[in-house]
Amino acid sequence: MCMCLCISQAWAQNRTITGKVTDDNKQPLFGASVSVKGTTIGTITDEHGSFTLTVLPTAKTLLFTAIGFENKEISIGDRTAVDVQMTSSNSVLSEVVVVGYQTIRKKDLTAAISSISSKELSDKPLPTFTQLLQGQATGVQVTTQSGRPGVNAYIRVRGIGSINAAPDPLIIVDGLPVSTTAFALVNPDDIDDVTVLKDASATAIYGSRGGNGVVVVSTKKGRGKATLSYNFQYGGVRAQELKNARMMNAMEKMQYEYETGYYQNPILDSMIANRITSGALPAGANIFNVTDAQRLGLWQTAASRGTDWRKQLLVKARIATHEITLAGGADKFSYYFSLNKSDNEGVLYGSYWNRTGGRLNVEYQAMDWFKIGTNLGVSATKENQVREAYNNQNAYGATYFTNPYEPAFLPNGKYNPTLQNFNPQEGADNNPQVFNRISSFATMYGEGKFLRYLTLKSQFGINYNTFKEEYYLKKGSNLANILGYDNKRDGGNQDFLYVFTNTANWRQTLANKHNINVLAGTEFTRSSFYSYSMQARNFPTPSVNTLENAAGPYTATTSRAEWSLISYFATAGYDFDNRYSLTASVRTDGSSRFGKNNQFANFWSVGAAWDIYNEHFFKLDQLSALKLRASYGTAGNNNIGNYTSLGTYALNVKYNDLPAAVPTQLANPDLTWEKLKQYNIGLEFGFLDNRLLGTVDYYNRRTNDMLYQKNVSYGTGFASYQSNVGDMRNKGIELSLGYDVIRKKDLLWNVRATYSHNDNEVLSLYTDDVVDASGLGKLKVGQPVNTFYMVRWAGIDPTTGKNNYYKKDGTITDVYNGADAVNLNGKAPVVKYFGSVFTTLRYKQFDLSAQLYYSGGNYIFNYIYRDMENDASDPTSNLYVEALTYWKKPGDKVINANIHDASQRVSYNTDRYLQKGDYVSLRDITLAYSLDNSLLRKTRILKALRVYLQATNLWLSTKYKGVPEVGQINSETSGYQPGQAQLYGFPQVKAMTLGVNVKF
Amino acid sequence: MKKLTYYILAGSLFLGACSKSELDLFPYNQVETKQAFNTEQDITLAVNGMYNRLKSSGSYYSGSWNIIWDCIADNLIMNQSGRLSQQKYSKWQYNSTDTHGMYQGGYTIVRTANAILENIEKFPAGAFKDNAKGEALAVRAMTYFDMSRIFSKAYVNAVDADSTINYTTTTDYNIKLPKEPLKGFYDKVIADLTQAYSLINTSNGAGRLNKAAVAGLLSRVYLYKGDWTNCITAANNALGTTPNLPSIANFPGIWTDVTEAGVLFKLKNTNTDNVNTLGVNYYQAVGNPLQMKSEYVIEYNLAQLFQPGDVRTTTYVAKDSLYQTNRYNQVVKWRGRAGQPAGVLDAKVLRTAEVLLNRAEAEYRSGATNAASDDVNLLKTNRINGWTNVSYSGQALLDEILLQRRLELAFEGDRFFDLKRRNQPIVRDGTKGDKSNGTGISYDPNTLTMPVGSKLFLMPFPQLELDFNKNLTQNPEWR
Repeated sequence: MCMCLCISQAWAQNRTITGKVTDDNKQPLFGASVSVKGTTIGTITDEHGSFTLTVLPTAKTLLFTAIGFENKEISIGDRTAVDVQMTSSNSVLSEVVVVGYQTIRKKDLTAAISSISSKELSDKPLPTFTQLLQGQATGVQVTTQSGRPGVNAYIRVRGIGSINAAPDPLIIVDGLPVSTTAFALVNPDDIDDVTVLKDASATAIYGSRGGNGVVVVSTKKGRGKATLSYNFQYGGVRAQELKNARMMNAMEKMQYEYETGYYQNPILDSMIANRITSGALPAGANIFNVTDAQRLGLWQTAASRGTDWRKQLLVKARIATHEITLAGGADKFSYYFSLNKSDNEGVLYGSYWNRTGGRLNVEYQAMDWFKIGTNLGVSATKENQVREAYNNQNAYGATYFTNPYEPAFLPNGKYNPTLQNFNPQEGADNNPQVFNRISSFATMYGEGKFLRYLTLKSQFGINYNTFKEEYYLKKGSNLANILGYDNKRDGGNQDFLYVFTNTANWRQTLANKHNINVLAGTEFTRSSFYSYSMQARNFPTPSVNTLENAAGPYTATTSRAEWSLISYFATAGYDFDNRYSLTASVRTDGSSRFGKNNQFANFWSVGAAWDIYNEHFFKLDQLSALKLRASYGTAGNNNIGNYTSLGTYALNVKYNDLPAAVPTQLANPDLTWEKLKQYNIGLEFGFLDNRLLGTVDYYNRRTNDMLYQKNVSYGTGFASYQSNVGDMRNKGIELSLGYDVIRKKDLLWNVRATYSHNDNEVLSLYTDDVVDASGLGKLKVGQPVNTFYMVRWAGIDPTTGKNNYYKKDGTITDVYNGADAVNLNGKAPVVKYFGSVFTTLRYKQFDLSAQLYYSGGNYIFNYIYRDMENDASDPTSNLYVEALTYWKKPGDKVINANIHDASQRVSYNTDRYLQKGDYVSLRDITLAYSLDNSLLRKTRILKALRVYLQATNLWLSTKYKGVPEVGQINSETSGYQPGQAQLYGFPQVKAMTLGVNVKF
Repeated sequence: MKKLTYYILAGSLFLGACSKSELDLFPYNQVETKQAFNTEQDITLAVNGMYNRLKSSGSYYSGSWNIIWDCIADNLIMNQSGRLSQQKYSKWQYNSTDTHGMYQGGYTIVRTANAILENIEKFPAGAFKDNAKGEALAVRAMTYFDMSRIFSKAYVNAVDADSTINYTTTTDYNIKLPKEPLKGFYDKVIADLTQAYSLINTSNGAGRLNKAAVAGLLSRVYLYKGDWTNCITAANNALGTTPNLPSIANFPGIWTDVTEAGVLFKLKNTNTDNVNTLGVNYYQAVGNPLQMKSEYVIEYNLAQLFQPGDVRTTTYVAKDSLYQTNRYNQVVKWRGRAGQPAGVLDAKVLRTAEVLLNRAEAEYRSGATNAASDDVNLLKTNRINGWTNVSYSGQALLDEILLQRRLELAFEGDRFFDLKRRNQPIVRDGTKGDKSNGTGISYDPNTLTMPVGSKLFLMPFPQLELDFNKNLTQNPEWR
């Protein structure tokens, strides 16, 4: 009875408020949230921007929020109709960002982060998302591994914080930690926004995995009126040209061979033999004893049959992308649905990478206080991975090795195997290596609001990746003939990761001035990996290649590995009057990867921010924003192998087809976490109504207990064991400055520049210095990591024509001695500075944007240069034309030794081939046209239409011989750090693309 | 009710907090070292592991061993149409950055033997224990002996002060090994082999050491030491009363792995292993029809020594073999098993013919001329069709022993060490090229003579180890 009364009483006094929400342009705003401030009572606007809300009599203020707009509070009084025009949040300082386990106002940040919103994403259609990150975010160095389509990029946040433990940042997609390989399968157009967490204040909440930065990716959610869009892109891709180097043409190469005085190439030999048989040349003739005219005749004939191998093997590749999305949201339900297909050919003959995928993100407000949602994405790729070996099986290598006087085809029309005995086109046709990957991303969550301020969220995420590889060594193929067998290998792996996260979040504002935000949670992560490989030989005919057809199985093997992580974390933020912010976070992680004695570790951070602009005493007319931030904290890195703390015997070896055991790993029960401690000071400012916006950050990040191999004497039968070897520091500054030069209705022009500088230094080691895995560099106290270590080349002696070298003591010798290797202080493969200059010009319906990317301060060991100017140690393959300029007589000042001196026909790894990696590239230039709104309205169904032409990497400036953008050395050589050396990896590319975006 | 909901939800927060035991994960393909020697089965696995290491060590018997030592010497000349592999050895340009595999590779083998020896004593006395211990001692001694052949002077040249690699017997990983005197080192090799001989089984099956093989190894060590009496005794133990060399008919089968006759020790390389290094060291089969693209071909003068009627000529050499437009004398010894993948075959480490030649030389040096002559005739009877015995003596006898040694063990890694052992220079003919008729590209003119005492006769210690292990000093010749 009592209850009844209460209810009817309440009912009687409730009232209904209606209204309309519009945007800056007075267009209806769909999906905006309207709520009674301080309660959970609320609704969402419909497609006309209208809402109806029943409120309690106690309701005083309505809160209007919409993503991309500034929050608005309206006092209701006794009104029953409220119309609101919202202001879009174009100010950088008022954005909302997704950080660790929650979304907060950028205003409240005490941390250094870089965020890229969907707005910026949608203007830049790029096949992989990592390409977009490049240059956009200060302090985030992104280097694509190579020009291979679909390839991963190396992402380094604020320098190289780790060596042995992978220095990649943690990538979180919708709360799910994913590998860089899986991340490459996420359709970039499905990404809503990306936040790169750079300093400890932001990363400590990710504990043992946050030390090298965290990339937080959120996929799109539906909002507003249903919109159907279609994107199409089509383009051509070419390999970038070599800089400062050119391959010899046929005549030049034959001239060089002749000048060696001894090398007789078999092509000319056989031509001579035929002419001896026909009587045109006398018996005993060879290239050295025929007349000049006869020689020229032979050369011209050979040259006329020759091939420009760069043209032959570096093909014009095509790319095409289609994408359809349908997104929207109404009342209690929002949805985002997308399908995409992207076909990418590579510039090496036969290579391609095709992706097909879909995504469905839905959220449902089941009850006033409870919502559930799920983000589901599935992507599949198919790739033909052509070889990158250090021989002619690698088409890119073949453009260097194969002589230009050789025809591409034999008279019978088949590929010419050439003197290299292998034609990579034949290899690509007959020995395909096809990779199929499927990645599924699933995040399911439920979120409830209680007691006004408390939000509980429980989330379960799954990332399931499968990889399947088929490599066919087809019967009758050249390689099968060489090896003496045909073979088919079916292999692959699957990794399954699940993460169960539970958080409680308390957010409360007291007296309109004290904003409190506390979050605590637990998380359990487990990953299991399983791989298999099967081979069979002797197939009945090349046209069938499933293993069932083969005469018999040949090998079969499987393997398995697991890791797990238990975590507890909490973070708290307090903001006073939008002027002073304080944050703190802690995390405890326990990992299966570490030694018994050190499985658990704690991480923490504190941060503070002072919004000076909001101070009453601080008023400067020109100034429109000013904020100072500072933070300090720790995070870790557990990115090492799964069982490296154990001393073990491996059982996966055989002898005489019998099981065997060999010692494989030395024990280190004290193996522990790598800890990264970082402090950061930052200043954000805006002038002239934020026409000029800038950010400056200074950081100092110290890696303690760095994970690395600790060497033992080779006399132990081991090389090293996994250990914590010393300390390293990365410190640097990051600058970002943007200026809207012109801000008119029909004409917008802005320029933005970023600059990131990082100094890497090894601070301490268990010993003075250690040679790294490549043998080209060292870790040395006081120097950047992998500082090069080799014998110094002292040029060609003008008197003798011999290579000179510096001995350890600085004197000059013409005898190479490995013991004369020295540390080349200051020369390391570590990029010291990089950044971009962006500009956008918008005139009426046209917009033109461009990005210039620069990077430098690093050195690269150029193995290609070593091979291509090798002092005649290998005249059998083609060379750079510069090799023709060698020492011929006393007094010659050249860089190539006397090729007639047999003692010089050898090439050593000296600093002659160590080159600066500095470059500037016109990364992107895009011209777009968008259909005018008035025209759009006439069509009745079209909401937007945009057509664009985009060119990437059109122009490059460098002093490096070749192409200086070096990621991995190549895909088949291990032991090298990114950017350390170049050895015929898949060439970097440039592209021209035409695109259309249509919205209905 | 609502309160209860809160409790449930709050409780669910900590569902994610699992027990600590979730963190104790162990590998699926490894065992912890302390669990690796508990049972006899474990020892068997470790013994197989030891042979696996012998096989997988790239600078040794299944690696580059069968080419490097012949191409530094005068048996092989580079084919300029090949891939120009092993150039630094052929051109005598090796230095301290090239010897890493020889040093580390040797110790990785020894490490497996040392671990067995450290753990074997806890097993009960008996044949199993004796045999495993014998195999481990023998593998250790054999490997150390070969490392010493690489990194040190010849024994006959050495004075007491001369040193070699360390004969470590521990698995402690904190060691930084200094060198040790060469002469004492030989004593350790002999002691280990002698003990192994007393322990090891008469037969362990193909691919493993046995009593005869250990005796054969001893004869090799004594020959290098110049201990003729013991060399003969050891050789007798290895060969028995009727040496199986084998016969002419069976000899080619050694190289296609159809017979174990005449092979005292080899490392198995099964079709599943599919390691084609031994073949690829020499050549690739290319083109259609297939031709051999040789890395190295037989030096002209040596090719002339392979006579018609000698089974080794047809087994080892493809004379005047066509590649592209030129003809070469190619090595076909490592071509592989019939009808199987190219270049895949077992690595022959020790054969009875070598032991017989060890004995013949020891007999000659110790004055037993008739016995030496008989041994040479025995070998030639089993190699040359219709051979009639000749009574050799004096210098002619020694020359014949050394010639047979060069022919018999050609392309097996013996030539360089044989010249070094006997204090002979390497002398190459600068007038002959790589083609079978002696034309073509000859040796570099500055690599025609490696005089006795040249530093090139012993390898420098690897720079990487010298940089780390300050107790090790570079060979004085290389400083």
